[in-house]
Amino acid sequence: MTVPSVRFTDERLSNGLRLIISEDHLAPIVAINIWYNVGSKHEVAGKTGFAHLFEHVMFQGSRDVAKTEHMALVQAAGGTMNGTTWLDRTNYFETMPSHQLELALWLEADRMATLLDALNQENLDNQRDVVKNEKRSSYDNRPYGDWFHKLQAHLFPAEHPYHHPTIGSMEDLDAASLEDVAAFFRTYYAPNNAVLSVVGDVDPAQARAWVERYFGAIPANAAIPPLADMSLPPVLGAESREVVQDRVPLPRHFFGFRAPCLGDTRFDALEVAAQILAGGKGSRLYRRLVRDEKIAQDVAFFSLGLVGGASIAAGQATVRPGVDPALVERAFEEELERLGREPVTDDELARAHALIETYELEALQRVDERADRLSMYATLLDDPEMINRQLGRYLAVGKAEILAAAAEVLRPENRVVLTYVPATEAGDGTTDGTTYGTTDEETAA
Amino acid sequence: MTLEQILAERPSPGQPRTYRFPAFERAMLPSGLQVLTVHVPGRPLVSANLVFLRGVGDEPRDIAGATVLAARAMTEGTERYPGVELIEAAERLGATLHVEASWDAFVAAVEVVAPRMEAALELLAELVERPTFPEQDVARLRDERLNDLMQAKADPRRRVERAFGATIYAAESPYSRPSGGDEKSVPRLSPDALRKAHASILAPDRAALIVGGDLTGVAIPSLAERVFGSLGGAAASLTPAGAPDATSAVSRPIVRFYHRPGSVQTELRIGHVGLPRRIPDFHAVAVMSAILGGLFNSRLQMNLREDKGYTYGVGAGFDMRRGAGPFAVRTAVQTAATVPAILETLSELRRIRETEVTKAELAAARDYLVGVFPLRFETPGAVVGALGGLFVHELPDDELSRYRDAIEAVTIADVQAAAREHIDLDRMAIVAVGDADAVAGELDSAGLGEIEVIAEESPVTAGDDAANESDEEGE
Repeated sequence: MTVPSVRFTDERLSNGLRLIISEDHLAPIVAINIWYNVGSKHEVAGKTGFAHLFEHVMFQGSRDVAKTEHMALVQAAGGTMNGTTWLDRTNYFETMPSHQLELALWLEADRMATLLDALNQENLDNQRDVVKNEKRSSYDNRPYGDWFHKLQAHLFPAEHPYHHPTIGSMEDLDAASLEDVAAFFRTYYAPNNAVLSVVGDVDPAQARAWVERYFGAIPANAAIPPLADMSLPPVLGAESREVVQDRVPLPRHFFGFRAPCLGDTRFDALEVAAQILAGGKGSRLYRRLVRDEKIAQDVAFFSLGLVGGASIAAGQATVRPGVDPALVERAFEEELERLGREPVTDDELARAHALIETYELEALQRVDERADRLSMYATLLDDPEMINRQLGRYLAVGKAEILAAAAEVLRPENRVVLTYVPATEAGDGTTDGTTYGTTDEETAA
Repeated sequence: MTLEQILAERPSPGQPRTYRFPAFERAMLPSGLQVLTVHVPGRPLVSANLVFLRGVGDEPRDIAGATVLAARAMTEGTERYPGVELIEAAERLGATLHVEASWDAFVAAVEVVAPRMEAALELLAELVERPTFPEQDVARLRDERLNDLMQAKADPRRRVERAFGATIYAAESPYSRPSGGDEKSVPRLSPDALRKAHASILAPDRAALIVGGDLTGVAIPSLAERVFGSLGGAAASLTPAGAPDATSAVSRPIVRFYHRPGSVQTELRIGHVGLPRRIPDFHAVAVMSAILGGLFNSRLQMNLREDKGYTYGVGAGFDMRRGAGPFAVRTAVQTAATVPAILETLSELRRIRETEVTKAELAAARDYLVGVFPLRFETPGAVVGALGGLFVHELPDDELSRYRDAIEAVTIADVQAAAREHIDLDRMAIVAVGDADAVAGELDSAGLGEIEVIAEESPVTAGDDAANESDEEGE
């Protein structure tokens, strides 16, 4: 089986905007995805959550587009849209019927060029409230809701930009001012800090002309401040543990490890390892903990690719009622450590490769996924051609590579273990939104 | 021109490319199994769904949960492939097997590249026809389901969904229960109960094999005959599927508030028993729902989110099943905004009934539903899923190809008629999970109807709720 290769052009406008165009006329639709090279890693103490709050402000209008009119215009054109913020980036995307491409390009250009003309206190206050409710519904009011934030705090030292959650803290959100928003915009929302990918039913010459017309005269920012050095020791050095009381019926362990960065072949090896460990009912952790020993309700293992010093490999296991959580933890860790000691079998590797091939094929069917990946690889690795090499890299991962990556990453002195337990009467586990970023007090060897 | 002048000029759309919903072919095997084939050129990944017109909604109450549990247990081993061997065999093909029981249907599906399709379909047939339901695996899955029910109670979103179903539907309706069964029925689910559920599902003349993708050079009907020709040969006398009971339990406005002390938000579901899929004004309901709570800039969203900032998001709509599924407004709001958010929601529900929507609102909803239609069907998997819907709801073959014209034809009067007919303030149930103490006074004085506050249960000891309830599974 071969995944069809994605043909694209890769160029820069004179103001530095990187433009990637990829034609595919199978369906009468086109996707655009613009990545700004700014994420929560660019935030400083006291201003956490800002990159994400800013993303919301980007839908509150610009000089030629009224508040929420962005959504109205895209949907009336039969399109879909959204934006997301993560540690390494912020992106905005639309998928449109192909005859509406120009509208989407114009909308993105108008807010890149003129957002501040429409910015006002009322809209900022409104979106601050919306984001605080997003934080409540996505994290604070959910069982086990803050696990990833705690994991970040354990994996990265307090001064590291991955230490704090992307959603930020309530205090910092409250403190965000119009001046902050304006300064953030002027600094990071410049064409030379963005990659625009256009994928689908498109005439490349026409698309290029439109991009030149709407984006070409937006001034670059010559003074985008470089990020501080984010490099880290590759391993934590000592295991870090925390027990969290939460309003949950079943205990659950979360495991985290510092891992090599996205683009490192060891990271590819970890992704294949994750498939062998926890990818469905044929996987090792599922078979042992859920199916055979019946000590866990569910298991998971996955990796999150990052570029700032380290990625994250993470896993979880929910403890069945009446089972000693320590037993589940031990079994989980044994399976991870075994991967670094004994090679996987030929059959395990072949099954993982075959499934990964299908997943890649499935994902790359869609124009929106292709646009997202092209912008991602261009922004994070300066290498959009990775879209065509990634599958080959997974398939090149052999037993030796898995063994080496697992031995290096999945070891006790590189491990964080968070154990959520049912709250006792004294502390009922109620989260009040004020506890984030202060969670590394239980660090222990 | 300056940049300012360039941007001040809004672009106008180009000429739309002609779009037609992919044409499909129908065949019928001697057994009565229907075979629907849709050739989508350039799509090497093929989706095949074997859809049985029997779902959770058709299940007798005493074995509630058997259909969902059977679906889970079917990948736990078959006669030829005991234990995980079936899954391993599929993985070697790079095929993803998936079995799911929804309210309306039972679907066994596989996704695989075209050259390995025959081998993958053989595994699908093995899984569907010869599952063994081993005692120890069934016992494990049963425990997992009971644990999951316990976990669901601790999650405000899952808890409110279950409570909403239990509130609006009478106990005799299957929709009042979680689709995977509840604390009372699940412990009774023996391997024999699953075998019985499985046998009642398998009937070739109530089933369709739907295959989509680049099928160049593959004759699906003859392949289907080879692989599925003997499917369910021994099936007993069949009763028509019919529509599950959807009796309402609510006849006046009520509030049911599940107390969860310290909750920073209140999860809200506001609604009543809604509509089945097969209704004459389906397209008018779609447009009305989009305006009320479907579009990003829907009335509810513009009010509760963009004006008041009470919530991260609010949606509303009809979950249409073979029987009348629920109509619900769904949101989570900061605790202090609970009562104001309920009042704003009710006022929007009243407004869409009492006054006509504007021309601009009508156009926004129609243009969205018509324009986004081709985006929804970019991949064969989505097309196959939609054809499954046609089969399950016994809709005409041209239902999807005429969808866009039917939406275009909806008028302002149609929208108002749909709202008046299908949204009923007089039996609106307001179901909440949140800190009842924090809003008690406000709630009492708001005049929302009869209020019942359900005291907190400790999640650790959470056992039987008095009511039968329904959660989000299988929808």
